[in-house]
Amino acid sequence: MKFNDRVKGPRLGTKLFLFGLALLVVPWFSYQQLVDMERILVQSQSQAQLLTAKSISTLFNGREDLFNDLPVNLEDFEPLFAHPLQNSIRLDALVDDWDQNLLDDYLSFGSLSGTRDGDFQLLLGERADQLYAHMRIKDQNLVYRDPDYLRLDNADHIRLDFIRNDGEDGRITLVLQESRVTGFAMDDEWRFAATGSADNRIQGYVRQEGDEVVIEFRFPIALLGSRRFFGITFVDVDDPNTRAIVGSTRTLPTAGKQSFNLVVLRSPEVRNIIQGLGFSGSRILVIDNEKRVRAETGAIQTVSPSPDRTTWFEKIALWLETARAWVQSLILKEVYTGPAEPEIDKDKTADIAIESSLSGEPIAMRSRADVNNEIILAAHPIISADAVIGTVVVEQNIEDILSYQRAALDQATMVSVLSLFAVFIALLVFAGRLAWRIRNLRREANAAIDSYGRLRIGELRNEMHAGDEIGDLARSVSNMLSRLHRHNTFLESMPRTLRHEINNPLNTLSTSLQNLAEEHPGVGQSKYLDSAKRGVHRIGSIVQNLADAANLEDALETEELEAVDIGELLENYVANCNLVHPQTNFFYRGPGRPAVAMVSDFRIEQILDKIIDNAVDFHRPDTAIRVQLDCYRDQLQITVANRGPSLPDAVEKSVFDSMVSHRGPQNRLHFGLGLYVVRIIAEYHGGTVRAMNLVDGSGVAVMVQLPLAQDINVGHRSHPIVPDRVSAG
Amino acid sequence: MAKIIAIVEDDPDQRSNYKDAISKKGYEVRAYASRDEALAGFNDGLPDLAILDIILGEEVDAGFQLCRDLLTRSPNLPVIFLTERIDEIDKISGLRLGAWDYLPKPISLDYLAERISSLLRINEARDQEPEIDNSAARQIGELALDTDALLASWRGQRIDLSGTEFRMLEKLVRMPGHAVSYETLMNATMQSIVSNNTINTHMRNIRKKFEKVDADFSSIKSEYGYGYRWSEQ
Repeated sequence: MKFNDRVKGPRLGTKLFLFGLALLVVPWFSYQQLVDMERILVQSQSQAQLLTAKSISTLFNGREDLFNDLPVNLEDFEPLFAHPLQNSIRLDALVDDWDQNLLDDYLSFGSLSGTRDGDFQLLLGERADQLYAHMRIKDQNLVYRDPDYLRLDNADHIRLDFIRNDGEDGRITLVLQESRVTGFAMDDEWRFAATGSADNRIQGYVRQEGDEVVIEFRFPIALLGSRRFFGITFVDVDDPNTRAIVGSTRTLPTAGKQSFNLVVLRSPEVRNIIQGLGFSGSRILVIDNEKRVRAETGAIQTVSPSPDRTTWFEKIALWLETARAWVQSLILKEVYTGPAEPEIDKDKTADIAIESSLSGEPIAMRSRADVNNEIILAAHPIISADAVIGTVVVEQNIEDILSYQRAALDQATMVSVLSLFAVFIALLVFAGRLAWRIRNLRREANAAIDSYGRLRIGELRNEMHAGDEIGDLARSVSNMLSRLHRHNTFLESMPRTLRHEINNPLNTLSTSLQNLAEEHPGVGQSKYLDSAKRGVHRIGSIVQNLADAANLEDALETEELEAVDIGELLENYVANCNLVHPQTNFFYRGPGRPAVAMVSDFRIEQILDKIIDNAVDFHRPDTAIRVQLDCYRDQLQITVANRGPSLPDAVEKSVFDSMVSHRGPQNRLHFGLGLYVVRIIAEYHGGTVRAMNLVDGSGVAVMVQLPLAQDINVGHRSHPIVPDRVSAG
Repeated sequence: MAKIIAIVEDDPDQRSNYKDAISKKGYEVRAYASRDEALAGFNDGLPDLAILDIILGEEVDAGFQLCRDLLTRSPNLPVIFLTERIDEIDKISGLRLGAWDYLPKPISLDYLAERISSLLRINEARDQEPEIDNSAARQIGELALDTDALLASWRGQRIDLSGTEFRMLEKLVRMPGHAVSYETLMNATMQSIVSNNTINTHMRNIRKKFEKVDADFSSIKSEYGYGYRWSEQ
C-alpha cells in the first residue's frame, strides 16, 4: 500500500494562524459594545437634561409677568440688544476680548453708506451687571477736549440719554481725552457738567485708528433704571479752533417714536429664579418667544487638551496613547467619529432646538462645541395659557461621559490588542514548535525504514519523553518499531534457525540412509535410496542458500576490499565461462586499459555468477551473451546482455528485490535470491545495479555500476587494503 | 587394541547412527549425550579421538568447553567438531581452541570414518617424529606437503592448515599450473553441501596463512568463474 506524498492540505501552522485571526473578533465585539454603551449613556443624559429643562420650564409656566417687564410689542422702540458676554472685557478699545461671533452684530447708525463723518457702529454687551459698549466712529478730525474750556460740548463727545430710576431724564456726556473717556452728568442744554466732578462709574478708552475712532466704555446697568430706556448720540466737532458742532449722529429713533431706545437685557427676575438651579457642568438659558435670552446661569465646563506629561507613569501613558492612536488608525479607524449622528454646528443646533421648542416641541440634541467638547442641548417650552411664552435650554458638556467611554475604549482596545498580539505570538510559536516536532518525528519515523522496507532502527529517540500527545504518538510509533524490529529479527534469524533445526534431522536422515545402505547391501543400488539422497541434498542446498542470503550483509561486513583490475577479472571470468558453458558463446569487450576498483574479488565473482546464470537461463539458443566493461570518469559499468524474452515493465524495478522470481514454476531451486544477492553486494561496494530491456526489445541487459578506485596502483594481491574492520583470518 | 573414539551428541538418532557406523570400522565407540556425562566418561579414561557436537541440550557451547577440557588433559588429542553450527565465526573459534577439524552437518559417514582413520594415523605419525621415511612427502617448488602427517611447509616454514584446508591445497597442487574447478575443490572438503563461497573462504584462509610466513606469496590464483590455480612464483 502506498500513500500519495502529494496529498497536501493547509499546514498546521497555517490552520492555527487562521484560527488566530478569529481572535480579531474579540476587540471588534467590545468596540461594538462600547458604542452601544455610549449611545445609551448619551440617551439617558439627553433624557435627564430634557427632564431638567422640563422641570425648570415648569417653574415659569404661567409666569407671563416675568417676561412682561419688556414691552411685548417692540414696534414702538428701536431695541439695542446687549449681548451676554462670556469673557471679562478689558477696556482698551480693542475688540479681541469680545466674543468673535458677535462681530457681525454691530449696529450701524448715520448715513446708509456708513462712510460719512460721524457715522458709527455700536456693539453692546452685558456682563456682571455692567453694560459694555464698543463704538467705531468715522471721524476725519478727532478733536479732544481742551481742559481750558469749561464747556464740554466744544470737542468730539458722546451723549447718553436715559431715564433714571427715579423717573427723571438722565444725561451723561462722555468726554474724549487722549486715550481716556470720562463721563459727566450734564445740564439740560448739554453744555456744562451738572456736578463738578466726573462720574467714575463710567470708564472707557479711546483709540484712533486711521479715520476711525474706536471707543470702548462701560457703565453699570443699574444706572439705567428698571426700564432701561437709553440712547447714544455722537457729537462731531471738526475744527479745533472754532470748536463748533458740525453734526451729530444718534441712535435715537426718528420722529413719531419714543425718544429712547430700549436696551434689551435678560430679565433679572428670571435669572434670580434659575440662579440656584445651575449645576456643575451645565448652562441654563431662558429664552423668550422673541428668542431673546432672558436669563443665563452656569457655564459649560470645557476640557482642555491634555497637559504636559512628566512622570514616568504619564510617559508610559503617552506612549500608550501613541500606540493606541496607531493601533486605532490601523484597526478601528473611525473610533472617535463613533455614533452615526451627523455632526451639527453648535449654533445651528441651538437654533433648531430653540425653534422647535418655541413651537411647542421639547427636544434634546447633541452637537459638537469644538474639537474636544461635545454637548447635549435640551430645550423645553414654557407654556402659559396654551401659548408658548419661552423656552428653557439646558446645555451640558458630555465630554466627561465620552471621555469615560473613550478611556474604556482605549483600555479595551489596548488590552485586547496587546493580549491578542501576545496570544497570537504564543499561538504562532506553539504552532511552529508543534509543526517542527511533528516534522522531526515524521522524518525520524520515515528514516526508520529504508526504501526496501528494511528496518534501520528499533526505536525512536525524538519526543520519547514528551508528555503530550506527540510524545504518546512517538512512544507508540517507537513501540511499533521495536515490535516490528523483534519480528524482523525473528524473520531474519529464521533462515539460520531453520538451517540449524533442519540440519540435525537432515543429518539423522542422511546418516540413517548411509547406515541402511551399509546394513542391506542390496538396498545400495535401489533408485529409491538415490532419490532419497538427492532429496536430502536438495533440502540442504535450499536451506544453505537461504541462510547465505540472510547472512549476506553480516558476511560482507567481514570482507576485505582490495584494488582489483575489473577488466582482467572479467576477461578471465568470461574465458572460464566458455569452458563451463560449452554450448553458449560469450563475448567480452573491455576498455583496453585497467579499470581498478576497491572490491572483494570473489564477491564480484559471485555477482557475475548470478548474472551470467540468469543470462544463460534466459538467452535464446545460438545467440551470444555479451559482457562489456565501460569506464567513466569515476565509475565503471559491467553490462551483461543476452537475447531472449524481455522483462515486463513492472518487473524492471522489482527484479532485484528479495524473493522475487519471474522464472515460473519450473525452476524450483530459485527463490529470486540471486539478483537480490547481486544488489546487496553491489550496494555494499558503493555501486548500483539495474536491469533493462534492450532498445530493440530483443533481450535484456543487466548493468552493474561500481565506483573506480582513485590513484591506486594495482598489484596482484600485493597490497591488500584492509578497511577498518576485524580481519576474519 | 581398538582405538577408543568418544562421540558427544545430544540427538539420540544421530548418536546411534554415528556409533553404528564407526563401530563397524573396528573402533570402540563411547557415546555421550551431554557434557556432564562425557566428563564423567573422560574421568574413567581418555579416548584416542573425540567427535564433539557444539550444542548439547540447553548448553549452546558445551562442545567448546569439552574441547578445552580434553586438550588441557591431553594436548595432542585429535578433536573433530561435528556440528550444525557452520557460521564462520564458530568455525574459527573451534579451530582456535585447537580442534583438528571442523565438519558441518550433514556429514557423509564414509568421509567421517576416513577422517577418523587419517587423523589417528597423523597423530601416530607425529608421535613417531623424527621419521625420515617420507614416502608420503611431496615437494612442489617451494611447497612441501606431508600427506600422512597433514603437514605443509613453504620455503621451509611450517604452515598450520586444518584438515580440510590441507586437502584442498593437496588437490590444488596435484597439477601445478592447471586450473582446478570449484567442483573438484568441493569434493576435497568431504562435506555434502558446499557452495562456491565456502571454497572461496577456505582459499582465502589458506592464502592468509601463506602470506603470514611470506608476504609476497601469490601462487594461488583465482580463475574467476571456474576455480583456482596453483602457479609457481
